[in-house]
Amino acid sequence: MSTESGATGVKRRDFLKILGVTSAATAVTGCNTDHVRKLIPYVSNPDNTVPGVSNYFASTCRECATSCGILVETRDGRALKIEGNPNAELNRGALCAKGQSALQGLYNPDRFRQPMARKNGQLTAVTWDEALQTLATKLGEVRSKGQASNAVFINQHEIGSFPAVLDNWLRDYGMPAHLSYDADAPASAIAANKAAYGVAWPTLDFDAASLIVSFGADFLDGWGPSVPLQLAWADARGKVEGAPRAIYIGARRSLTGLNADSWIACRPGSELAIIQFLRGSKPVADAAAAADVSVATLEGLKKEIAEAKRSLLLAGGNGVDSTQVATEVAEYNKSLGNVGITIKPASPLGIYERLDVSAAVFNAADRMNAGSVPVLFVRGANPVHTLPKSVKFAEGLAKVAFKVSFTNVPDETTELADLVLPDHHSLESWGDAEPTANTLHLQQPAMEPVFNTRATADVLIAVAKMDTALASKYTMTDYRSWLVSRFPGGQAAQMLALPKGVASASSLRAAGRAAGDLGRKPAAAFAGAGDFHLVINASPTLGTGAGANKPWLVELPDPVSKIAWQSWVEMHPMACKKLGVTRGDLVTIETSAGKVTLPVYNYLGIRPDTIAVSLGLGHKSQSNRKFDADGDRKVPFYSGYGRYAEGVGINAVDLVSGDTDALSGAIAYTSMKAKVTRTGENIDLITTEGSARQHSRGIGQASTLAALVAARTKKEASHGATEGAATTQHDANAAEGGHELGPKEWGGNEHAFVGGAPTEFLPGLKSPVANDAQGDLGTQDSKDKGMYSEKHWSGMAKRRWAMTVDLSRCTGCSACVTACYSENNIPTVGATWQGRALSPTVWDTRPGANILKGREMAWIRLERYFEGAEDSENVFDPGFDTRFVPMMCQHCGNAPCEPVCPVYATYHSPDGLNVQVYNRCVGTRYCSNNCPYKVRYYNWFGYGEPGRRQYAFPEPMQMQLNPDVTVRGKGVMEKCTFCVQRIREAETRADLEQRPLQADEFTTACAQACPSKAITFGDAADPTWTVAKQVEDERAYHVFEVLNTYTAVVYLKKINHTVEA
Amino acid sequence: MTQRKKWAAIPGFFLVAAIAAGLSAYSGATAREADAAQAPAGANKLAYPSFSGLSGTNLDGVRNNTEAMALPKITGDSGLKLDPKQGPWAYSGASSPQNYSPEQPVKFPHPQHVQKLGMNCTYCHYSAGKAQDPGLPTVATCMGCHSLVATGKPEIKKLAAYYAKGQPVPWQRMHKVPEYVHFPHSRHANGGVTCQTCHGEVQKMTQVFQYSSLNMGWCVNCHIERKARYDCSTCHY
Repeated sequence: MSTESGATGVKRRDFLKILGVTSAATAVTGCNTDHVRKLIPYVSNPDNTVPGVSNYFASTCRECATSCGILVETRDGRALKIEGNPNAELNRGALCAKGQSALQGLYNPDRFRQPMARKNGQLTAVTWDEALQTLATKLGEVRSKGQASNAVFINQHEIGSFPAVLDNWLRDYGMPAHLSYDADAPASAIAANKAAYGVAWPTLDFDAASLIVSFGADFLDGWGPSVPLQLAWADARGKVEGAPRAIYIGARRSLTGLNADSWIACRPGSELAIIQFLRGSKPVADAAAAADVSVATLEGLKKEIAEAKRSLLLAGGNGVDSTQVATEVAEYNKSLGNVGITIKPASPLGIYERLDVSAAVFNAADRMNAGSVPVLFVRGANPVHTLPKSVKFAEGLAKVAFKVSFTNVPDETTELADLVLPDHHSLESWGDAEPTANTLHLQQPAMEPVFNTRATADVLIAVAKMDTALASKYTMTDYRSWLVSRFPGGQAAQMLALPKGVASASSLRAAGRAAGDLGRKPAAAFAGAGDFHLVINASPTLGTGAGANKPWLVELPDPVSKIAWQSWVEMHPMACKKLGVTRGDLVTIETSAGKVTLPVYNYLGIRPDTIAVSLGLGHKSQSNRKFDADGDRKVPFYSGYGRYAEGVGINAVDLVSGDTDALSGAIAYTSMKAKVTRTGENIDLITTEGSARQHSRGIGQASTLAALVAARTKKEASHGATEGAATTQHDANAAEGGHELGPKEWGGNEHAFVGGAPTEFLPGLKSPVANDAQGDLGTQDSKDKGMYSEKHWSGMAKRRWAMTVDLSRCTGCSACVTACYSENNIPTVGATWQGRALSPTVWDTRPGANILKGREMAWIRLERYFEGAEDSENVFDPGFDTRFVPMMCQHCGNAPCEPVCPVYATYHSPDGLNVQVYNRCVGTRYCSNNCPYKVRYYNWFGYGEPGRRQYAFPEPMQMQLNPDVTVRGKGVMEKCTFCVQRIREAETRADLEQRPLQADEFTTACAQACPSKAITFGDAADPTWTVAKQVEDERAYHVFEVLNTYTAVVYLKKINHTVEA
Repeated sequence: MTQRKKWAAIPGFFLVAAIAAGLSAYSGATAREADAAQAPAGANKLAYPSFSGLSGTNLDGVRNNTEAMALPKITGDSGLKLDPKQGPWAYSGASSPQNYSPEQPVKFPHPQHVQKLGMNCTYCHYSAGKAQDPGLPTVATCMGCHSLVATGKPEIKKLAAYYAKGQPVPWQRMHKVPEYVHFPHSRHANGGVTCQTCHGEVQKMTQVFQYSSLNMGWCVNCHIERKARYDCSTCHY
């Protein structure tokens, strides 16, 4: 052990002294205890509540119709975090980014705080009594005039009893059944499923398949029930041996396409030709010509399908003939014998029961424009934003005499309403859902309502009670008591089922509805002028726009492009070159429906004759920008879709004609040709991507099954030989060929570790760890074993917390990122008020301005690297490989950040954590500069300080903050802590129960949320933990292991399933 | 050339630092004046200005307390002024100040309940042994007895008034560690640390005052003595 630094120069203690001179004067005013206030006890104690201990309420997620089971963590009466409910078979504890962000819908600062009514053209706060009276009066008028049969109720698509209750209520008033509207629904697949299998959504069993072929079915991008599909996909692919190979067919390589092993880049709209060729009704030459792919590719595909033991063919898409494609694919599945094995119509999912097609909403819009709709209700849905302009929904609204909105946040539709009766958020309401037959997911409030809102079901009941003709029928007190009354076994049984969140029961079913008139103008395929086919896809995180008022989702980089707070157009580098544009150049995209200007993102995964734009952003107010009609409120009241959506991106629906897929009645998004012209301007892309290439650094490593087997054989052969483990490791890398890190790039074996320790990962206590922040090392050979020595000052190191990330499971969905934001109070930094000062009076108010400066705060990020297709400017090569690498603090045993900190603000704890001590940190940022993984994030502004302009938690969003985690102030470095608060909580709990920690007793937020179950966390020093077994996996590697950082995070190589020669 | 420039910049840095220090001292002074201006009439001028919760406190309160119990010897590593006349809470990091003793909305006599009636601390502070927060008695807990006992006393009348209105008693917070410190009561209570070790003999205090400094040095000394873990991430995360 060396106690003196070999190099001359300023030592850190000396540096501190110098620093002390200047900082002493300022320190005096630096600290105060402004937060010392009052201690408020309960008046009387609620049951089962212990201060400072979380309660978990089982409920149901309402962010999409999948209706996953959730657990809502609440502390002292407020919801803090949403996790998947492990009791729910459907999602097995996992939850997507959208579901977790429901918390920001609950605490959204722009939520309606009480009912509003339009007075003198302005929405004005009214009381509930007044609002209900207005509604009851209007309903009476409509009925007495005999206009009730023309009323329209548009509800967000959801499953459970509420849609049926709503239909019954409407029927009692003589009004037609409601329209269940979901702009995100995969309409073509649903129509085909109904036609071919007789159910809207069969269970898809990826695990039973040996080949998965997707015709534009983006099942990892939010197509269908996203969490169950992702779980099934990851379980299948995680097997490594016997995992299914996946082929993606489409013009744009979506997140699903990037996860597939091969991409057949067909021309948009040619999927029909391909499936017809596969089914033998079209000659291969015709299909190849239509699809613009080689005959060999198509023949190869046919051969693979024929030879596959069990296949699963899926079809999605949102083009003019997508339903026809999906129906043909379904028929092909039938003929291949896949039905009942990989596709299980016998166990359908409830997700799309009673969904109405877009055409039904179009018809409503036509009737509105004709002036025949007397009253319109809307709840949760936002047709003004999500429908193409040609539908003229907003114009139609103007002709409806009375518009009622039950939506609880301002949006483009609600701001045109005459009466706003804000619904409870789903985390404040009672309800149920039946996601699979006879399995009821119960929904219960996790907390008291944040604002003066009321559950729509209760409003319906209350209004019916005010009506003399209906009062006798509506005898229930409220919706909750009605739910209890129909629960098998009544209240007692329901109380027993609530903690579990799941029960064997059914929800009330609404009567089935005929598909109705699909007779809107069917779209022509790619008619119109323009050089490019335009592909329009829903954003995996923002959907068609619902996510845009939740900063976690807006700041979450798109999994494919890594762009946040911005819309972009994807163009292939060849097309860019031809057009003379580069990354970030603004181009104008013009279709027959409209025109938008967007920056170019040069993307390998799109055909050179195609461009792609994502939906989800571009919210804008139709009326006044802001209106403050809201009593004692000091903040401006936002219309449009709230402060986070204001001025962010464009709405790609503006480019869509509004014609439909004739068979399903869905909007044919991908049916336009587009003319692209350059504007000559260039803006910065707001991206978190440093480089799309790994430059041989071996960050995301991949292998093939064959290489894995070869390495295994070789290892067995050399077993017992004395050669160093390092050599074996590098040989294994070399055996795999490909783009892996080889010893040559790093100068042979010259990096051998001082003390002779091998560079391979030694899990647990064997791993060398720096024994203090000066960087002295305890090695295996030396007598000094650092912290793990009993003689070390800590003398108590018994654990090494570690993590494994299985890259063959990870899909890059980024749910872990949102989980981390939620658990660790990470501020979002891209809102318009969070930019830096450009001059003393001028602020950078561009959305995402901080991210442009590289100042995002995500402790865990999803890195996405492309391998292959290097000469993309000249050659279109669809055969590139993509690596998704979740990158968080690696908790290095020999951490480069630790010795450079002048104030010991970062050090290694005895249980193997690389710790950041906020109160020691003075913000030199040396640690960040020295971190090879770039996982340290600096608080450039006071995102956590309420008095600051850049405050990230406008009231009441501060209520989402986790009280177990420090909210960091300005000038402090922060990073992944391995959820140290969860470690301490588990230790405290074990201590309280007087027992040792049990294996896999708890896990980090990212691992908990992961819908691929790719992340495993635990104690690598204790062989009973799963992680201790996983680090020994043959696919295990360290990122930059050559730097001798001895990281605690171990990645397991991705396995690419290539065609066996 | 560049070398020379670099060295020449150093006095410049000091100049900037000195100006910055001067400015912040000035703004601090004005902030203190503003604080004093906001303090209610009759507030003791000796109250330490940077603790906003202290604006109504005076030293007499502390002295009165010491009659029931000797002023504890002040420990800690701050090494700064500890003379009560100068304000005993001259510096205690960002924790609440030692000997802080605010007047509570209801004057709750601990000696009456603990010494005379023999009530256990955890009867009222019910979660001290099972959670990070020690817990405060609900108003209903107080009223469990006081709907019958000593109902005529003025303090009990105040309590009953809160209860009748369905309002909690707005207790003044005393013990406060900084936001970046996590102190789980349960681990200490179950680890054999008595309440009195940190809080002093509360059973003898007619008006409770903060017995310990709550400085980090004070924490760490005990952790070392008791061979408890004391690396930063034990408490700071």
